[in-house]
Formats: sequence, structure tokens, C-alpha cells
Amino acid sequence: MVDSIVRSHEIKPVIAFHEVSKWYGNVIGINKLTLEIGPGICGLLGPNGAGKSTLLQLATGQLRASQGTVMLFGEPAWNNPAINLRIGLCPEQDALYEWMTGREFIITCARLTGYRQSAARNRADELLESVGLTAHKHRVVRGYSKGMRQRTKLAQALVANPEILFLDEPMTGTDPIARRHLLDIILRLADEGKTIVVSSHVLYEVQSLTQNIVLMNRGRLIAQGHIREIRDLMDKHPHRIVLVTPQCRQLASILMTWPHVDGIHLAPDNRSMTVATRQPDAFYAQLPAKVVEHSWQIDEVYSEDDNLDAVFHYLVDR
Amino acid sequence: MPIAEQGYQHWSGRLSGHAWRWLAITHRGVQIQFRNRFLRYVLFAAWTPAFLLVCMLSIWGLLEQKSKWVSTVVQFLRFINPHVIAQPRYYRLDVWRLCYGYFMHVELFFSMLIVLIVGPGLISQDLRVNALPLYFSRPLRRIDYFLGKLGVISFFIGMVTILPAVIAYVFGLLFSLNWHVAVVTFPILLAAVTYGIIICISAGTLMLAFSSLSRNLRYVALFWLGFWFVSGVVSDVLISGHNQQLRSQYYHSAPVLQPSTGAPSGRLLSRQYWRQFHSYQFEAQLHDWRPLVSYTGNLNRLGNKLLGINDVWLKLAKLEPNRWRRSFLLMRFGGPWYPWYWSLALLTGLFLGSAGLLKWSIRSFDRMK
Amino acid sequence: MADAQMQPIIELKDISKTYGQVKALDQLSCVIPAGATGLLGPNGSGKTTMIRTMLGLVRPDAGTGMVFGLDIRSQQLDIRRKIGFSPEDDCLFPGVHGIEFVAYAGELCGMQSSDAMQRAHEVLDYVGLGEVRYRKVESYSSGMKQRLKLAAAIVHDPQLLILDEPTNGMDPAGREHMLQLADDLATNKGMSLVFSSHLLPDVESVCRCIVVLSGGKLLVQGDIGTLKQIHSGSYELRLKEAPGNYVEHITDAGCQVQINGEMLRVRLPDGLAPEMLWRQAALDHVQIRHLRPQRSTLEEIFLGAVERS
Repeated sequence: MVDSIVRSHEIKPVIAFHEVSKWYGNVIGINKLTLEIGPGICGLLGPNGAGKSTLLQLATGQLRASQGTVMLFGEPAWNNPAINLRIGLCPEQDALYEWMTGREFIITCARLTGYRQSAARNRADELLESVGLTAHKHRVVRGYSKGMRQRTKLAQALVANPEILFLDEPMTGTDPIARRHLLDIILRLADEGKTIVVSSHVLYEVQSLTQNIVLMNRGRLIAQGHIREIRDLMDKHPHRIVLVTPQCRQLASILMTWPHVDGIHLAPDNRSMTVATRQPDAFYAQLPAKVVEHSWQIDEVYSEDDNLDAVFHYLVDR
Repeated sequence: MPIAEQGYQHWSGRLSGHAWRWLAITHRGVQIQFRNRFLRYVLFAAWTPAFLLVCMLSIWGLLEQKSKWVSTVVQFLRFINPHVIAQPRYYRLDVWRLCYGYFMHVELFFSMLIVLIVGPGLISQDLRVNALPLYFSRPLRRIDYFLGKLGVISFFIGMVTILPAVIAYVFGLLFSLNWHVAVVTFPILLAAVTYGIIICISAGTLMLAFSSLSRNLRYVALFWLGFWFVSGVVSDVLISGHNQQLRSQYYHSAPVLQPSTGAPSGRLLSRQYWRQFHSYQFEAQLHDWRPLVSYTGNLNRLGNKLLGINDVWLKLAKLEPNRWRRSFLLMRFGGPWYPWYWSLALLTGLFLGSAGLLKWSIRSFDRMK
Repeated sequence: MADAQMQPIIELKDISKTYGQVKALDQLSCVIPAGATGLLGPNGSGKTTMIRTMLGLVRPDAGTGMVFGLDIRSQQLDIRRKIGFSPEDDCLFPGVHGIEFVAYAGELCGMQSSDAMQRAHEVLDYVGLGEVRYRKVESYSSGMKQRLKLAAAIVHDPQLLILDEPTNGMDPAGREHMLQLADDLATNKGMSLVFSSHLLPDVESVCRCIVVLSGGKLLVQGDIGTLKQIHSGSYELRLKEAPGNYVEHITDAGCQVQINGEMLRVRLPDGLAPEMLWRQAALDHVQIRHLRPQRSTLEEIFLGAVERS
């Protein structure tokens, strides 16, 4: 289990949770959470009931922490209307004003934020351009597909040009084409220097956005940092490295003599093998030299659990 | 095989044809409705008139047999004409008819209440949670679905109309101890059961049609409530307006009694002339369309026709010596006098309209999201 | 066995359906074999209409179709006996217990109530809802609801199971469980599967063939393995640290290298085998952490097909 918190950025944190707890009556939502998030994209993961939505609500100032402090840019998040201009939330729920057109909706949001009428109109056009909805902006929201609705929500989150963006399940229900668009938009926003927190259940989407994750379970923080670093720290689960080679058994007999190899599993078709090792670094370091030395033919090498799925799986104790 | 296969196993049973599929829907619907405590209270309350009906029929049976227990009870029956009590056997059919008539009149109210409790969610909830694909992706036709839902309403209406009618009939027979009674009074039972079935079909299809129009069962319930009460209120208002009109017409058509010069003109009508007003009113009622506006009034009219209430009152009114009082009785108690086939036509029209509306709202998914 | 696998279970020929102005299906012809097939397509491509046509819920304006050899126009009820459908929306009506819901679903198909109840218990155990079967359905989490819908779809033991977005909104553990169930049914229990989803990795892990629709027309159809062409001579390569000299050295040796973040795309010249990469790695003291021949992903196939249309 990862006990230490791996810090990925040494810059001053943008979002800081310090010993935050939140309970609803007897039910605990978040339990003594200490977390710091810096600029860039951060993936927020966790099974159902882990407290992700509570965390987002605390960060956006919708809920007050029962204990501890939530700071954004060094200021408290709760009861601080001024900070709302610097944060944007793209919620999971789909409650838009159905009778308005996309353009009217964004204009309304802009006016609510404080833009004057003409400035609001320009801002709306700008935003719709940046999310790629210019072609559909005069269509009523009721007729939008799921992808277009997500982009509208993203546009309204960007109205005040915030420095922090919270995206709650931004790509659910969208088809692969819309997902590609949204991905590009989010990556572009991150390049502009914003801090983006993406909460999602779909692990491969998070992985295509960022390598930096925050993993929660049962209201507690379990892991934070770069996926690979977390994986390397998880020594309870040996790494599984797959080697595809026609000389399986030959290789296996030699690899078994290496001290850091814990076990080898041969595939039934004798074309590949899975090596289990707790010291992947040492294994990889030795491999190229031995390949050349023994003239092995290794067609493929890859790790089965170097990805987010495996990390999630191991940490959430399934 | 020493180790049994765990996990998914295939099923080799047979799937039945869809003749009885509606029964599965009805059964499950009724089961769910019974969990509603309020409904159970209403059903319980609806059985009180049934109990009274049973008592009345049993008492009449005892009267016929001139049993000694009757004498104590007779003093409570003073509202009935003493002629009638003196000849129980002659008036048996009429009294039974009247008892059933009043019973069904009260149970009509309870039926409407039950439809209000049970009905709104039947289709509107399926629309709200999008459960229709669940039904129609199975080998089920639309008609099975509708019949099943209608069955739920019919079950509860039947429980308060048909079932008590049958039980009361059996008790009445038992207490008269005369099997000849069965032969004579059987048409009454048949009429009551037919009336119950008509209520089921008419109110049921109407409620299903309303239910299919909205996803929110509160709106449907309000709509039904409105339809039920407002139609009744409008009908009453129209009738009393009509009565006012009749009264003034009658007043103006009366001969002037005391012409006098110099004195303010007026028409004083004799008391006898006013008594004749009742028969004037009665004549007007025979072709009055205004009661047709009330939905329950229509059902009532059909029920009266089936049970022959009008004839009963005509017979009973003959006992009244006073001509004018006779008209008064007929008009006040004899029930609506307009032709029954008007009501039948109206109800048939409503039924066809509801069926059409149902078919239109639950089109086979061509427009479903 | 191979023949039985390849026998088509659904054949649609020139199916057209128009709703007012919108052409939902435009002369669609496709053949779906036995086994697990993925149904992909952007929003509005006609996937839902196609599923409804297969179920016989929608009458096509033109064209013919056969499902298990039964005509979709005239033998709809027989077709529906053999199909189980798990719709996309939350279709559970409140107030019933899980076991009642599944038994009801069975009774609606025509099972006797005792059969339906027995089968409901069996099926709920199989999908992993055995412990919560007596709870009301509104208390279920989203993952449990999806599995309940799956249970309701298989209670009458259909030959074809159609799943519409079965992993929508589920957390990773629930998704894994669902995919495992779908895979088990398709592979081991001999049930054919049509899996309609937007999540391409899910489709890839369960299905063998895919059908891609767009604008009411068929774009691509075929075995995933065949569609994912291997680009011979191209490899994906990832090293432990920044490449440094390594890239220069292999470029000098004649390779074309493209850098995508931390992944390198290396195209070896003809005649050179991957051993050369290992040799260079040994010389430069770098760790090769990932080396695989480049394959197009399902996403690339999909996006490419849609763009081409």
C-alpha cells in the first residue's frame, strides 16, 4: 500500500486540502484528506461512493468542510464569491435551459457572471468558437446530441476565463468522434496553463489526458502522483512483463537464474511468456545486454500492468 | 458428473403463446398496488355499503318469512311505505332492485376513487422510467399490454362492485329460504354484474388514455379528479340553471289571477298551480340533455336502466294518492329520465375515443426516443 | 464448429427507414455472424433504429431482413422469443424487488410463473446480485442496475443478446464485471451477442467482429483481428528516460523515427530486424520498456472509416 504521498510538482499548489473531513449526519463523505494539486491536468479517480463528487463540491465552494481547510490560490474556497471568477465547473448533471439556443445560453451565463450585454455576446461567440459549436449555436439546446451538450457545459465553465477547471465526467455518453474533440479542447486548455481536474470512471480516457492522478476510495486519499511512480512503489504486486519470443523455454531457463525474477509464466502457445519481478528497473537494465550476448530474438516486450487499470485494480482491492 | 456446472445454465422450457400474457401484467400490477396502505383502507370503506346491502336483503328475506325477529327491525323501516312492508313478496323484486340501485350508486363513487388511486401510474410511470422497451422487446403485443393494465383497474372495481353484489345476492337467497326467489331475482344480479363490467371498461379505458398522455402521475390524477368532479359540477349548474329558466317560464305562462287597475302588476299563482309545476318539470326532464355532461351521471343512467329503477319508481309512485306529489316523487327519486340510449351512445363514443388515444400515444416505438 | 460460428444469425438487405425529414437507415445491408459482434457508430448513425428493426419494433419502409431465419416483417413475435434486449435507459419501475423484476420479465416472455421465479433466482446468482435480490430496485447502484437489466434479458435463455450501452456510467470495477459476464455468455455459453457501445476498449475486449454505421449506412464490417492491420516494419518503442543519443544512432542506421510524447514510432528499413534496436540499446545503456509492432487501434479504424465516408 502506498503510504507516502508522491508530489509531482514542487510549484506552489493551486488547490490545497488540509486535513479535510466532511460528513452528512452519520455518513462520512471525506475522511481526513490532505491533497495539493498544481497546474496541469489531474485525473480524479475512484469507485462509486469514494467521495469524488464531495471533493469537487468542497473545492468549488458548494459545501463547507466539517473539519479542515480548503484553499484555492491561498484563499478559502467556502463563502468566497470573488473566487468564483477564477474557477469553472462543468458538472455531471445535464440540466441546461432546454428552450434556449446554445448562443443564448452562453450569453445568459456570461451576463450572470457580470458581462454587459454586448460584451456578453462577443464572449459567447468566442467561447462557442473555441469549443467548436459555431455551426450549431443557433440550434435549440433540446436538439443537441450528448457531445454537443458536453461542449456547451464546457463553454459555460470557461465564461470567466478561469484558472481552475473542474470537469465531472466530461466524456460520458459521447461517441468517439465527440470524445476526440473534447480531448483536444481539454489538452489545449491545459497547454494554456490552466489547472484542470478531471473526474471520470473511464480509465482509458483519463490516461489519454494525463499521467498525473489522484485516487480515492471510501473517502480517503489512496494515491497521488504519476502513474508509473505509483506503480513502482507498489511492491506488493510484482510487475508482469510480457516477452514475445520463439525461444520461450530457452529464455525462461536463463531468466530464472536472475535474482530479481520472481516467477515466469509460459503462455500455452509457447510464443510468449510473462515474467514477474519486483525490481523492474534492474530487470530492464540487464535485458538489452543479455539479448545481445545470447543472441536472443525478442519480437515484443511490454508490461501488462503498467497502466492505470492495473494501478486502480490493485489499489482498490478488488 | 461429480462436479456440477456452476454459473449460467441454459433453460429448456417452453414459452407459452400470448393468450394469457395480459394476466401476468395484471397479476403483477395488482400485487404492487396492494402494497399501498391507503388503497386498502379505501377498499375496506367501500365494503360498508356492501354490508348494508347484505343486511337489507337479509331483512327483506326475513320479512317474507314473517320471522319474529323482524318486528324489532320494522320500526327502523318506517321510511318505507307501510303498504310495501305489508306485502313483502309482491314488492320483493322492487325492493331488491332499489337496494341494488342505491348500492351501485354509492359504489360508483368508490369506483371512481379507486380509479383515481390505482390508475394514474399504470402507463404514465412506464413512460417516465422508459420501461416500454422492456415490454415491447418481448413477444408481447400492444393489445396484451393494454388488456393487462385494464385488468388491474377492473380487478379493483370488480372487488367493490361485482364481488359484493354476488355475495349479497347469495345472502339474500339464503335468508329468503325459497329457491323460487333465485329464478325471479337472477336478472337483477345479471344487471348488477353487467353494470359493474360497464364501469370497468368505461372508466378503465378512459383512465388508461389519460395515463398515457403524461409522464407525471400527479397530473394524470389531477386530470381525472377534474374530469370527474368538474363534469358533475358543470352538469349540476346547468341543471339548476335550467330549472330556474323553467320556473320563470312557468311563472310567465301562468294566467293572471287578480287583474287590478292602479295596483302594481303582478301575478299571484295559486298553490295548486304551483303544484302542477312539478309535472311540468317532469315533462321537461324527459328530454333534458344537461345531465349528459356529467360522466358519472351517464354511468348512473345506464345502471338505472339495467336495474330497471325507473320502472320501480313508477310502480311505487302509484301508491301515492296525490297526483302532484307523485310527480314530485318521480322527479326527485326516480332518477334521470332522459333516454338511456343517449348515455350509451356517449359512453361508447368516449370508449372509442380513449381506445384511439391509447393506440396513438403508444405507437410502436416509431417515435420513441 | 467453425462453420456454426460463421453462420450468420442476422441478415439485413437494403433496409430503409425515414422519419419525416430524417433518413434513419439508408439501404443498409449487413450480415451479423454468430458470436460477439460490436455495433459502433456516432450519434445519429441509425444504431438504435437498426436494433429496433432487428427486434421487429420498427417496420422498415423498404428492404428485407432475417433474424435466425425468421422474417422481420411477419414473424416479429417469434423473433422476440429468441432475443434478449437490455436497453440503454434506466428502465426499472420503482417499488419492486430485484427478484420480482426479473421474474416479471420472464413471465412477460411467456414463462410460467414458477419457472420464471426459479430461473430468476438462477440468473441473479449468475450476474452476482444474489445478495441484494430482495431489496427494492431503486436502492441499487448504477452497476447493479445494469446487471439487473442483463439478468432480465437472459432470464428466458435467448439465443441472441442485444446490449445497448451496458457499461454506461459504471465505475471501473463494475465495468470489468459486466464485460466479464458478457464475455462469458458469448464465449462459453454459446449465446450470440450484439454489443452497442461508444467505449471502444470495451467492445474490443468482448467482441470478435464489428459493424460500423454512419448516417444510416454501413461503413465497415468484419473481424477485428483482420481490420487491425499490422503495419509491417513499424514498431512502437518506449524507453525509460529521454531518448538522448539513441534516436540519433538508430536514425543513422536508416530508421525513420517519430516522437509522440514518450512513445517513439520507429520504421525499420527493409532487411533490418528488431535485433538492431536491442543492440543499440545495449550500446547506449538505455532500457527498452515497450516494444511492439504497430497496430491500428479500434479507435483509428473507427475514426478513419467515419472520416472517409
